[in-house]
Amino acid sequence: MDITGTYRISARREVVWAALNDPETLARCIPGCKELDAKSPEEMAAKVALKIGPVSATFAGTVRFEDIVAPAGYTLVGQGNGGLAGFAKGRAVVRLTDEGTDTILTYDAKADLAGKIASLGSRLIQSTTRKLADQFFAKFAETLGIASAVSDQSETADAADQEAHST
Amino acid sequence: MTAISDSPFRAANQYIGKSLPRPGAKRLLAGRGRYTDDIVVPRMLYAAFWRSPFAHARLGAISIEAAAAMPGVHRVFIGADFAAICKPWVGTLSHFAGMKSAPQLPLATEKVLWAGHPIAMVIAETRAQAEDALEAIEVELDELEPVVDIDAAQLPDSTLVYEEAGSNVIFRTRIESGSTASAFEDAEVVEAEFRFGRHTAVTMELRSILADYDPSDGRLTVHQSTQTPYQFHDIYARHFGLSEAHVRVVAPDVGGSFGMKLHLYHEDMAVVGASILTGRPVKFTADRMESFLTDIHARDHRVRARLAISADGMFRGIEVDDVTGVGPFSAYPRTSVVEGNQVVRLIGAAYRLKDYRADLTVVAQNKTQMSQYRAVGHPIACAVTERLVDLAGARVGLDPFEIRRRNYVTQDMYPHKTPSGYSFERLSLEECLDKLHEAMDYEALRKDQARLREAGIHRGIGIATYVEITNPSPAFYGVGGAHISAQDGCVLKVTSSGGIQCLISLSELGQGAEAIVGQIVAEGVGINPNLVRVITGDTDMTPVGGATWACRGAGIGGETALQASKKLKGRILEIAGAILQCSPGKLDISDGQILDQGGNIRMSLGELANLAYFRSDLLPKGIQPELTVAHHYAPSGYPFAFTNGIHGSLVEVDVETGFVKILKHWVIEDCGRILNPLLVDEQIRGGVVQGLGAAFFEECLYSKSGQLLNGSMADYLVPMACEMPDIVIGHVETPTQDTELGAKGCGEAGTAAASGAALNAVNDALSPFKASITQLPMTPERILKALRVV
Repeated sequence: MDITGTYRISARREVVWAALNDPETLARCIPGCKELDAKSPEEMAAKVALKIGPVSATFAGTVRFEDIVAPAGYTLVGQGNGGLAGFAKGRAVVRLTDEGTDTILTYDAKADLAGKIASLGSRLIQSTTRKLADQFFAKFAETLGIASAVSDQSETADAADQEAHST
Repeated sequence: MTAISDSPFRAANQYIGKSLPRPGAKRLLAGRGRYTDDIVVPRMLYAAFWRSPFAHARLGAISIEAAAAMPGVHRVFIGADFAAICKPWVGTLSHFAGMKSAPQLPLATEKVLWAGHPIAMVIAETRAQAEDALEAIEVELDELEPVVDIDAAQLPDSTLVYEEAGSNVIFRTRIESGSTASAFEDAEVVEAEFRFGRHTAVTMELRSILADYDPSDGRLTVHQSTQTPYQFHDIYARHFGLSEAHVRVVAPDVGGSFGMKLHLYHEDMAVVGASILTGRPVKFTADRMESFLTDIHARDHRVRARLAISADGMFRGIEVDDVTGVGPFSAYPRTSVVEGNQVVRLIGAAYRLKDYRADLTVVAQNKTQMSQYRAVGHPIACAVTERLVDLAGARVGLDPFEIRRRNYVTQDMYPHKTPSGYSFERLSLEECLDKLHEAMDYEALRKDQARLREAGIHRGIGIATYVEITNPSPAFYGVGGAHISAQDGCVLKVTSSGGIQCLISLSELGQGAEAIVGQIVAEGVGINPNLVRVITGDTDMTPVGGATWACRGAGIGGETALQASKKLKGRILEIAGAILQCSPGKLDISDGQILDQGGNIRMSLGELANLAYFRSDLLPKGIQPELTVAHHYAPSGYPFAFTNGIHGSLVEVDVETGFVKILKHWVIEDCGRILNPLLVDEQIRGGVVQGLGAAFFEECLYSKSGQLLNGSMADYLVPMACEMPDIVIGHVETPTQDTELGAKGCGEAGTAAASGAALNAVNDALSPFKASITQLPMTPERILKALRVV
């Protein structure tokens, strides 16, 4: 499942970059984040409570930063175990570019779901992801003390993926 | 049909062939049904399962201590607990030579093989407590590469679902008759690749089981939503090492089964095992999501087929390659090979053919198990054959009716043997074709179609012939070593006031088996059907028998009931003759009265029973008060009683959106002797709706990693009343001569050809656009792809 999105943030790129690497900021901004510990500058462990459609669960997982190019972006590689609710893993390429004094953040994520969240929630992933991303960036902007981040687009490309494997 | 009753009073007792309502229908409609989940027994506990989120993974440590300490929890079981008391089951049969399948146990022990595979089981005071405790279980799973795609699964370097088998191909066979090579030489050839989407039964009542093992006397009582109580009776006794006489399986009201509830599920064995290990009654009822993940799926096939024809439209030969993915192992005890086997044997069956070759490859994969579901294999064989027939007609310029008429097996050819080895006693292909032509008013439909096309409305007309397997003999399962009975048993008891209790091995799933048996017994003995009570679905009460599957209830169970009722009538007249001092041959029974040849009432059945049971001192010397008879019947003529029929479909395709409106559907069917026209029509209608579900709506969608993506009623589409058309049904009756009753089956005839007719209808609508579709379900997206719009 591919999920992409773009946000315009009214702050300079270095400021956005620093916040994106700050565990405390992330912990405040990630919706449902219960714990977030930096194991190393490149790795964090997190517990996040999520509700996807009819499935609610706390996912315990790790996120690793790869391909770090400050302040232009990084790749997040993570996985989360929701026990009965299932399992999620994926990677997201995050890019920051300047546009005047604003920063344009784009993410391009690939996610693989297993268990209940896959069979009950797959149809809802797109809208849920969008909602969670909006919540994250609203909080993120608030933390930076700026006007709310604006979402330009967000979409998933999942239909073709299903079609190819329906038989 | 005079054979049924040579009584001169038959007209007064004629119930066979009448549209009598099902005796239980009113009770169920009144909400007074009693399904397995309604049954509550003292000290009962509830089960819930921790299921694998992954399609394929190695099982590591399972931590259950925290769950076991949760409120209300009695026990938490893992695979090893049951491995100690349950003999593994293997879904193979010896007549499928070379077939392999992994041994199965109630819970996963080393590997998990599909997303949904149960790993741990919590037994608690309530279902809610059991589910809460599941949250506290931790399972280490080391994810393995899932086997999903049917082609990739066959590659030499593919991951193996079952390592010991050495390959993911669990069965391969070839059927060959004549020489297709010579048939295809210099012939016109039409060919296509067909894809059939996996779908599932979606019964209104979900799977449910309540097992109650009493350690004090070694007795196991299982209430279960199933169509085959004796099959489970045998399995529980054998696999748990119990005395078979001490096992009782009861199927109370069953809210739909469709073949799905005759397979053994892991949860069934876990529930029985849990009751044995705890000494308490344990109940499990699947929720809808669990049903999507664990009920058998069906119809996952890719079929490549080609048909050789001569210039005048005569069929010369067919070649078929069917590959089917059946999930991690073959289902038990019927195997997951039967659907493919029926596909490759039924293709082309209605047509005169000598040269035929078919390959079947059955592949294991990490998906939900796939096995028999209503009309096993028939819809696939029908859609493939009938699409090729239409393509052949188009190639040589023959109308769909005409090309079929030219190639059908004809009346002078019976008994007829197909190149795939099936023997037909007698079919009525041409008569059904003619009747359908008339019922559809075919010429008028074609005129309408042409007129509407000018207005940009694209209607399609499609027809599809089917040949259906019914009344199976032991050739189906018994010869392969399965403990599945092809015979039925019936016990008739006269009550002391002259009513009859009928205990029969058939099972009632809402289809009306009890109704037709009651009609047969009433007519066979000569009493009012209201005085006959039919009892089914309890192995403590009913005789051993096959129950309900493969359209065998009317033909085999019905014949059993008929012969039992004749035996009972003979017994009654013997006693009456002794009492009345006249030859039993000069007496008869009509409406519960014993009559002489002049039609004078000599005594009632109630009086006779009263004498027999309470005043046996008055019976003539040597006459015993025996008013109970038992009879068993097994088919011994043709291995199967084949039926036939034809469907017609009228659809309207919106070529801009891909949406299809199903305007009307016709069925002309021949199930032999019709026992109850109302119930036959109900069966056909229900079957057509399931067939149209496959044609347009139902499909279990999987991700590349083997995750079921639409496991809820929000995402899995089923046909609803508003999408369903009027269904017109007509009948032809060709009774089988193998039985006195002459009945064949009708339960799968609606499903067998509905999707094939719809496929031809949609393609007919698409034909002006040089577009074609060969994949079911025909979703709007696929239709637009066929039209090259998307």
